[in-house]
Amino acid sequence: MRPAIVIFLLLLLLFAPFVLDAYTQYLVNLALSYSLVCLGLNLLLGYAGQFSFANAAFMGIGAYTYALLTSRLGVPSLVALPAAGMAATALGMVVAGPALRLSTVYLAMTSLAFAELVQWTFIHWSAVTLGTDGVRVRWPAVGSYVAQGDKNTFYVVLVVVAISYWSALRIVRSKLGRAFLAIRQGETLARCSGIDVERTKTIAYAISAFYAGIGGALFALTIRFIVPDGFGLVQLVLQFSMVLIGGLGSLLGGLVGSLLLTVMPELLRNVEAYQEMLYGVLLVLFVIFMPRGIVGLLGRLGLVPQEILVRGAVAYFDARRRKHSGL
Amino acid sequence: MAQRLSIEGVSVDFGGLKAVHDASLEIAPGEIVGLIGPNGAGKTTLFNAISGLVPVSSGQILIDDVSLSDRPAHERSKFGIARTFQAVQLIQDSSVIENIMIGMHSRLDHGLFDLFGQFRTSRSQDYVAQKRAYEVLERLSLGDLALTRVSSLDFGQQRRVEIARALVSEPRLLLLDEPAAGLGPDEVEDLEALLVLLTRKSGLSMLIVEHVLSLVFKLCDRIVVLDNGSVIATGLPAEIADNAEVRRAYLGDVAC
Repeated sequence: MRPAIVIFLLLLLLFAPFVLDAYTQYLVNLALSYSLVCLGLNLLLGYAGQFSFANAAFMGIGAYTYALLTSRLGVPSLVALPAAGMAATALGMVVAGPALRLSTVYLAMTSLAFAELVQWTFIHWSAVTLGTDGVRVRWPAVGSYVAQGDKNTFYVVLVVVAISYWSALRIVRSKLGRAFLAIRQGETLARCSGIDVERTKTIAYAISAFYAGIGGALFALTIRFIVPDGFGLVQLVLQFSMVLIGGLGSLLGGLVGSLLLTVMPELLRNVEAYQEMLYGVLLVLFVIFMPRGIVGLLGRLGLVPQEILVRGAVAYFDARRRKHSGL
Repeated sequence: MAQRLSIEGVSVDFGGLKAVHDASLEIAPGEIVGLIGPNGAGKTTLFNAISGLVPVSSGQILIDDVSLSDRPAHERSKFGIARTFQAVQLIQDSSVIENIMIGMHSRLDHGLFDLFGQFRTSRSQDYVAQKRAYEVLERLSLGDLALTRVSSLDFGQQRRVEIARALVSEPRLLLLDEPAAGLGPDEVEDLEALLVLLTRKSGLSMLIVEHVLSLVFKLCDRIVVLDNGSVIATGLPAEIADNAEVRRAYLGDVAC
């Protein structure tokens, strides 16, 4: 029954470009790109319980890899997209190194330093990155078809986001996703359950960076012009807000948070000066009163089904119950 | 199949403190051994040494003559060691089945195909493994609670979920760290019945740290007494109950 709902919603989304105006369409594309960036952060922070300030940098690496490969080297979009993910993954593994040895404030500082270093590279390695001039990004092309305009780009974004969410769902509903949760609960528990904590953490960083990188690539092809400034501290605060407001430790949470925080600034256009303050206040309020975010609240009210990280668990126990009542 | 755990002259030092000193004990297949002693005697430290959470400074921990001393904690579940914790270590926000499946980690082998290529849910490893998980849940009368969040279970049920999580990995040796702590008298009786059922049928061995002595004396085949990090007595429950040194160390000078 649930896959049917998902397919229905996806079909509904396919018609979105026919009803939305160009600007709203652009916002939807942007929100969907952000949802992948948040997916990466959420897997690391919400599932594996690992702290890192490097997510904006992973996104930046994905965005720059995609933009430079397509615009400067003429690499096809379909090759540049996974390449963006892989580039971010490679750097995710680099961050995982110190992350295995450090914790708390030291890890926070190290990952922040890494993020600054990445941004510094975007600015100063101008022979490649064009520095503060930024990089212009072309419309994505699939074969000889060019997805001109936001409405056509939407389909490219939608397909990538759908595949990403599907794969993320498979990951969290496997022994890997449960190992993330076990590590979040406590490393002692994880070790005694046969989980190789160091290896699993490294995988968490790698996967998280991969999604953030893909999200960054979609971000680049949606806003079509990227500058180093876009991947700094403000970006990081935005991502944390999206994940925490949407729902920590829930795949749906990142999606809800990114939709909300992409659309909300538009509604608050005339009070722009207060936007960042508002994020701060919201962040504090949510952390204190709704630590599992909007999706967590909806779950408690029974409006969103509980996320169960075992593949087919509900089906299995339904079948079992039917068998029992049949006997 | 059956495995014998031998602890030979194990010491664990924390800086200058000798938490466990030259301790030796054996657990035969199917045997239930109680580990008792006053607070701070080193019982949990010895447990942690067997689980691989703290390094052994001298001595050997052997499973069927294979030394575990150099193996990291996460590899030891492959040797058939599983444990529960003094303070319940469950993911409160998750359902019982998710918590149980964590215990099955080393038994599952999700390759990339099972992750992304296996489109039929009913053929995925998780789905198949749930049969085993469910059997264990049934045995512990938790079957109906599989999809319930742990946070809404009472404490006795949570203890049982912990035991279930340890059992699904099909261990040969189960380490129980104060399984009766926080349980009411009725629940302790249920626990005893459960533990008897588990060992008598399957040849599973157990090492139990417990302060509820009535449980230890009724349940265990043999009792090992630890005091100040050293084994001061080993024997049948009746022998231990009559041992003067044990009485002094454990029960105080006031005879009971």
